[in-house]
Amino acid sequence: MSDVNIIQLVDVEKSFGSFTAVSNLSLDLKQGEFFSLLGPSGCGKTTALRMIAGFQDPTRGRILIDGQNMEDVPANRRPTNMVFQSYAIFPHLNVGDNVSYGLRHRGIARAEIDARVSEALAMVELGGLQKRRATELSGGQRQRVALARALVMRPKVLLLDEPLSALDKKLREQMQFEMRHLQRSLGITFVMVTHDQYEAMTMSDRIGVMFKGRLVQVDAPAVLYARPRNREVASFIGEMNFLAAEVIGEDAGTLTVKTPCFAPLKIARNPNAVGYGNHILTGIRPEQLAIGRAAPEGYDATVEGQVGDVAFYGENVHYHVRVPGVDRPMAVSVPNYFHTVDYARGDKVWLGVQGASVIDLGSEDTEI
Amino acid sequence: MIRLRSETAKGVALSAPATLYVGFLVAAPLVILVTYSMWTQSYVTIDKTLTLANYREALTDPLVRLLMLRSILIAAAVTVATVALAYPIAYFIAMKAQRKTLWLLLITIPFWSSYLLRVFAWKLILGFNGVMNSALLAVGVIQEPLTFLLYNEFAVVLTLAHAWAPFAILPIYVSLQKIDPQLLEAATDLGNGGLERFLRVTLPLTVPGIVAACLIIFIPTVGDYVTPSLVGGSDGKMIANLIQVQFGAANNWPLGATLSLLAMLAVGFAAIVFVLSATGLGRRIR
Repeated sequence: MSDVNIIQLVDVEKSFGSFTAVSNLSLDLKQGEFFSLLGPSGCGKTTALRMIAGFQDPTRGRILIDGQNMEDVPANRRPTNMVFQSYAIFPHLNVGDNVSYGLRHRGIARAEIDARVSEALAMVELGGLQKRRATELSGGQRQRVALARALVMRPKVLLLDEPLSALDKKLREQMQFEMRHLQRSLGITFVMVTHDQYEAMTMSDRIGVMFKGRLVQVDAPAVLYARPRNREVASFIGEMNFLAAEVIGEDAGTLTVKTPCFAPLKIARNPNAVGYGNHILTGIRPEQLAIGRAAPEGYDATVEGQVGDVAFYGENVHYHVRVPGVDRPMAVSVPNYFHTVDYARGDKVWLGVQGASVIDLGSEDTEI
Repeated sequence: MIRLRSETAKGVALSAPATLYVGFLVAAPLVILVTYSMWTQSYVTIDKTLTLANYREALTDPLVRLLMLRSILIAAAVTVATVALAYPIAYFIAMKAQRKTLWLLLITIPFWSSYLLRVFAWKLILGFNGVMNSALLAVGVIQEPLTFLLYNEFAVVLTLAHAWAPFAILPIYVSLQKIDPQLLEAATDLGNGGLERFLRVTLPLTVPGIVAACLIIFIPTVGDYVTPSLVGGSDGKMIANLIQVQFGAANNWPLGATLSLLAMLAVGFAAIVFVLSATGLGRRIR
């Protein structure tokens, strides 16, 4: 990754009639980074990607690729290539002709085309399948052909529209690693659109979270997880227990908060959160709560509750624990160390929490 | 109630309606036709000794050859003209139009009136004192009525092309409609302008629709006799007119049957050659 901005979106807006799909989108993407636009369906992320590709024109604002304004550059002249959600493999062409599609009829020597196609197919581990018919490919192979067909063009930016959503879970996980590896070794900027938070987190250098046409937060996956800007982001990425809190003391870096169920906790201020007052929203990730038959020792605050639903996930177990003063049960995730499910519905348990794991979510929207 | 004892019996029962239908309405008439073609007409009676005399007569008669060739050429001209005109219309409806159903309904409007009426309408338009000539005379473009409009091959091609238009539009429309819009975007993304994209993606993907449209028009057009007899004049007569004469005025059913079979063979051969070369050509576009 370098410091050069390969894509710059400046106040980009897109409206369809009275509906605003994307509003005030400003974003700088670095050369060589893997960037994901994450959000629920209909949040405008695909529209944003299609504007970069040139399939849609912004209503307002500017898009620059490698410093060049794209306003009058049609999609077929842009230095971007796209992997489509349906993969859009040409059904009347074989694999080789699909991959070489953008190179043919351009005055490029046959030998060079063949060499580049072989190289691209080898890259996606489909070496030697040039003659295979498009209709005979599996889902995973179609995805790889789509990737090879775009990469063979040597684009400055590769755009990926939900590239893995059509694959089954195992294949999807494998492709996540392969694509990440490919992106690192090629050094091409990848911009991916996805609604799958795990996909975005495992693959991306940075993630932009979008809701209702607005870009809400842009950060590295770990920062996004630990310091979400507000309730929207916190609940979309991973699971979160929300607690309304009263600010009873503050200094430069910390806040002392009183939640309905725990003794006062000293928590770190979240630089991403906005809006402060006497009341803020706080969040605790399920895996950061301790659980035990007796009050866990060495924790900043503890509370007694009763186990409700128990969900066994394999690698961990989720307990929903009702505690006094909080309407919704607290979710607690315990790693499955010894193949045991230790608590059952109705059991009395104690929860423990460290102030350092409680996330300050600001007061932008404190209602739960 | 009939009790079906085995899978075989069930299978026979299920396929019986189709078998009977095809047997009585396709196979039996064909057998009768072949039989007739091998008999001969002697004045008012039919000589039922099997012979290939009719085939010899038909194949050596220059008139038969001329009419057969003309029928195929006229049908080919109608097919080309109709498909060439239908493709842009189908493209517009499938790709650009907002109200597809309305447009498709409008396309079928000519079918709401009888085919004969439509042919007569063309006679009124193209005739010596017809709409076209009157209009051109009134405007002063011509000094006397044009005579080349009606009673020739041109009139036949024009009338048939108009009549068959919906049959060409619909299959092409369906094949255009089936194209995934992302394929077109992928072509653009890979550097194609509008024309190149059409030639390399849209056109090859609509080859099945074009082939279907061509066959739907070509096959019945070769054997059409209403249009040529109404607007074709003597230059526009086709093989079906000769067949009609054999079964009518000439009262030579065996020769008529022979000519029908030869026409079927010629059409079948032309159609097979066409389908093979068209699909082959479609596959070569890359």
